[in-house]
Amino acid sequence: MKYRCTICGYIYDPAVGDPDSEIPAGTPFEDLPDTWVCPICGASKDLFEPVGE
Amino acid sequence: MIRKMAEGVYNVGAIDWERTLFDEIVSTPQGTSYNAYLILGSEKIALVDTVEPEKVDQLLANLDELGVDRIDYIVSNHAEQDHSGAIPILLEKYPGAKVVTNAKCKAFEMDLLHLKDEDFIVIKEGDTLDLGGKTLKFVFTPWVHWPETMTTFLVEDRIAFTCDFFGSHAATTHTFAEQYDRIYHEAKRYYAEIMMPFRQTIGRNIKKIEELEPRIIAPSHGPAYSDPKFIIDAYKEWISEKTKNEALVLYVSMHGSTKKMVDALVDYLGEEGVEVKVRDLVHADMGEIAIDLVDVTTLIIATPTMLAGPHPSAVYAAYLANALRPKVKVVGIMGSYGWGGRTVDILKANLGSLRVELLEPLLIKGLPKDEDYGKIREFAKKIAEKHRELGVMG
Repeated sequence: MKYRCTICGYIYDPAVGDPDSEIPAGTPFEDLPDTWVCPICGASKDLFEPVGE
Repeated sequence: MIRKMAEGVYNVGAIDWERTLFDEIVSTPQGTSYNAYLILGSEKIALVDTVEPEKVDQLLANLDELGVDRIDYIVSNHAEQDHSGAIPILLEKYPGAKVVTNAKCKAFEMDLLHLKDEDFIVIKEGDTLDLGGKTLKFVFTPWVHWPETMTTFLVEDRIAFTCDFFGSHAATTHTFAEQYDRIYHEAKRYYAEIMMPFRQTIGRNIKKIEELEPRIIAPSHGPAYSDPKFIIDAYKEWISEKTKNEALVLYVSMHGSTKKMVDALVDYLGEEGVEVKVRDLVHADMGEIAIDLVDVTTLIIATPTMLAGPHPSAVYAAYLANALRPKVKVVGIMGSYGWGGRTVDILKANLGSLRVELLEPLLIKGLPKDEDYGKIREFAKKIAEKHRELGVMG
């Protein structure tokens, strides 16, 4: 499932991962380390919400 | 001027009567203040936050007047320069002082102020600092309105120093808010312009502050609150999902056609029982528009088509509304055009962050004709219907 940053609107897509933070494609949001932060604005993981589609 | 908050606790900050503009965008019709709080323990002396550097003379004079010849800790709740900017000056005047803050704030201040690693003592969430009879406890309140923002709680006196959180742009000699109506409006302006995009995190931070059971909330702008419930309840209302039975109509009109549409819409909305606020984007104060956006249900942007798109003033307003992320539920786009253009597409693209229902846009060719007024009436009826569906109109 995709997750949206409630601060800046960035969407974490598990199919893409977050290459800049060395998160490989295919990593579910739940498996991101607790230290992971939004690559755009620096918000922590608990500030993300699931994107209902 | 020195303002005593409690025994051994003083607001030694600066009052800025002249400031009319903040961040080069936000008007501050009541001026502002940069509050810095001096806390005298039996062993150690702490200063919580500083002031805008150009007003540092007031801070230094207040410290001299109180006979302060040493500061042990400069607690920094927020790295923004209107609170941190005078730290380098204080470090020079009071050698031996250490900046006490969290790791994120430290990193920002090394970037923004060129402070050095050895200037800091880094604290973690929940840490305490004993000044001798006065204990500071650090509570992290992130995203009000930067990632590093925190609150310092003076345990014995139950004072929460919340920095920008709960602040208001108001220059006043009062220690505590006394004219609640005036401060309410200025606190709402402050919330609207700075805090509104972070509604979700504010809810969590309010809880953290409430758990401290403060007797006083002392922000870094405007007066402190001896009745914390006043400002906490106001914030709770602003961040709630509750909106008012109001439509905000932001318009720009070059030759009067769009204005005629707006005038008709306003009348029809009035007849339908929807309250209306109308602002001409050429002359309107963006701060007042931000305040309106805090709790209106509907936002209407009315613009003529020029340069094959919306008037730039309408794009500016849409961009700002989008960035402020108000709890608006319904958005409508309307206006007059001559031959064609991408008005709707461009405005829509600038409103992408708002989770709203977008009404079918109403664009009319030229000066509205009789049948166009029928369409405007339908547009008004649609808005009223939405207000009823949402339960904001009886």
